[in-house]
Amino acid sequence: MTEPLLETRGLSKQFGGLAAVNDVSVAFEAGRVHAVIGPNGAGKTTFLNLLSGEMRPTSGAVLFKGSAITGLTPDRIARLGIGRSFQRTNVFTELTCFENCWIAAQSRLPTSLRFFRPAGRRGDLAAAARDSLEQCGLIDRQDRIAAALSHGERRQLEIAMILATQPELLLFDEPLAGMGYRESQDVIALLRRIAQSHTLVLIEHDMDAVFSIADRVTVLVNGTVLETGPVAAIQSSPAVQAAYLGAEEQP
Amino acid sequence: MRPIPRSLLGILLVIVALLAVFPQFVERYYVQLATKIIVMAIFAMSLDLLVGYTRLVSLGHAAFFGLAGYALAVLQRDLGLVSLWTTLPLTLVVCALAALLVGALAIRTSGIYFIMVTLAIAQMLYYFANDTKALGGSDGMFLATKPTAELFGVAIFDLKNRTTFYYFALAALVASFLVARMVLASLFGRAIDAVRCNEPRARALGFTTWHYKLAMFTIAGTVAGLAGYVGAAQDGIVNPAFLSWHQSGQALVIVILGGMGTLYGPVAGAFVLIVLEDVAAGITEHWLLFIGVFVIAVVLLLPRGIASLPLGDFAGRLFGRGARKRAAAEPGDD
Ligand SMILES: Nc1ncnc2c1ncn2[C@@H]1O[C@H](COP(=O)(O)OP(=O)(O)O)[C@@H](O)[C@H]1O
Ligand SMILES: [Mg+2]
Repeated sequence: MTEPLLETRGLSKQFGGLAAVNDVSVAFEAGRVHAVIGPNGAGKTTFLNLLSGEMRPTSGAVLFKGSAITGLTPDRIARLGIGRSFQRTNVFTELTCFENCWIAAQSRLPTSLRFFRPAGRRGDLAAAARDSLEQCGLIDRQDRIAAALSHGERRQLEIAMILATQPELLLFDEPLAGMGYRESQDVIALLRRIAQSHTLVLIEHDMDAVFSIADRVTVLVNGTVLETGPVAAIQSSPAVQAAYLGAEEQP
Repeated sequence: MRPIPRSLLGILLVIVALLAVFPQFVERYYVQLATKIIVMAIFAMSLDLLVGYTRLVSLGHAAFFGLAGYALAVLQRDLGLVSLWTTLPLTLVVCALAALLVGALAIRTSGIYFIMVTLAIAQMLYYFANDTKALGGSDGMFLATKPTAELFGVAIFDLKNRTTFYYFALAALVASFLVARMVLASLFGRAIDAVRCNEPRARALGFTTWHYKLAMFTIAGTVAGLAGYVGAAQDGIVNPAFLSWHQSGQALVIVILGGMGTLYGPVAGAFVLIVLEDVAAGITEHWLLFIGVFVIAVVLLLPRGIASLPLGDFAGRLFGRGARKRAAAEPGDD
């Protein structure tokens, strides 16, 4: 087993009396796709928020490359090379696709407290923006305002933005949510391509997608880890079948 | 930042040229009125950097306007500094530091709380000036002289001359506009775009957003200080009214009237509002009522302010440029 890129130790988040995330210890290995599944309200988004710094844990620790990043602000964590998408698409709706990715690439500069030279001269950022749009199949949409995109395209734009920040680890919160079949297939293919050179933490509801992309799976139920293991083991686990998969199959 | 269309830049150049020759053709009174408009235009433009470009609605922006006036008065009276070359930079530094300090407190909050904090801080300054004998209390402080502008012992211009002072104010307006444009077109300006459009997303991408908000607050406070310096120098007096919430509120009205997030909108807004006040006050003693109706009408009929009038289109036809195409490509309101 390789050294984990990201690791949680006894991570918990309490909302009043509710333990949304309860004593979760998981290791995410470098270069792998690690899915986190579980029924609605299981605490998956909250867990991701703890990883990305959107929320502070009540207790426990998050380690990135062996050092604690617990309680760091989202911007600090993003700069370490951890990018994330949101369950509700989160882009700059008033800006064009190109501008969205341009700004995302800009976020990698040590600081943007640079007041004098026109930003338009930064060909490197423009190139990075185009490159990420290209990877996500949005290059022909580059001048379109994000608000004018279809739901699926907007989700792909958010992925393009994350890629433009050149992260090592990507955290996805239900990237396929609300997408049609075709778009889903496109995004699954995109995630596979990204996975070739990145580490992914993937929260996803679509079990077929999870089982086709992921290497390992963690099942979260009521904020607690029910089981973690390789895809095959999770698929055949009776406990998981009973607690989650079985319930999912009945619409 | 959405760039100002070229056609509109043409119009702006024409306007600046008109402003430059204007004192040759009118009575002194109108030169002074124009100077007053320019001061308000600089002040409103600085507020636009916060309200329009950063979505930080401040109701205490007069704090820096007034502080500049008092700084100039104190520098003159207590340090014997009369030169433009010393008092202007020192005043701007004082305002920048004050804005840095106030901003550091205020930007911890947002929305209605930001409005409250900025208002409260400006009111504190107001009452401090009003109740401090050394600052002249409610009477304020007279300036013994206009700032002098000497180079190697020779006066290169004389701000006691009203027309010269007008040009001085005009230069301050143009400089403010150019600095604001530069800042908005820089990498910093793009970070501000990100903060305005979606601050949580900007932060999740890796922008330490409070750095940019604080920097913008400081820049806006400094430009407001320039306006206050020119305003106090023109009036020859600074009093608590410079710091009042009325002054902050008027700038906010001008920004909204003129069009947020445009820079030139607030300049047009200052012109329209102050000219209208002047005219209305000459016709009826109920002029405030009249102004109120006008402001409401503009806000209802032109939600994006005077700047949204199809001036760019008009200029496009005039200069034969593609302003219409550009306007058509702009997204509508959500
Ligand atoms: N900000 C919050 N404040 C209070 N309760 C929350 C908050 N966010 C999530 N919760 C609760 O925590 C539980 C887990 O939510 P969430 O992490 O969104 O689940 P999932 O993403 O697995 O559907 C839910 O019961 C939800 O109502
Ligand atoms: Mg969720």
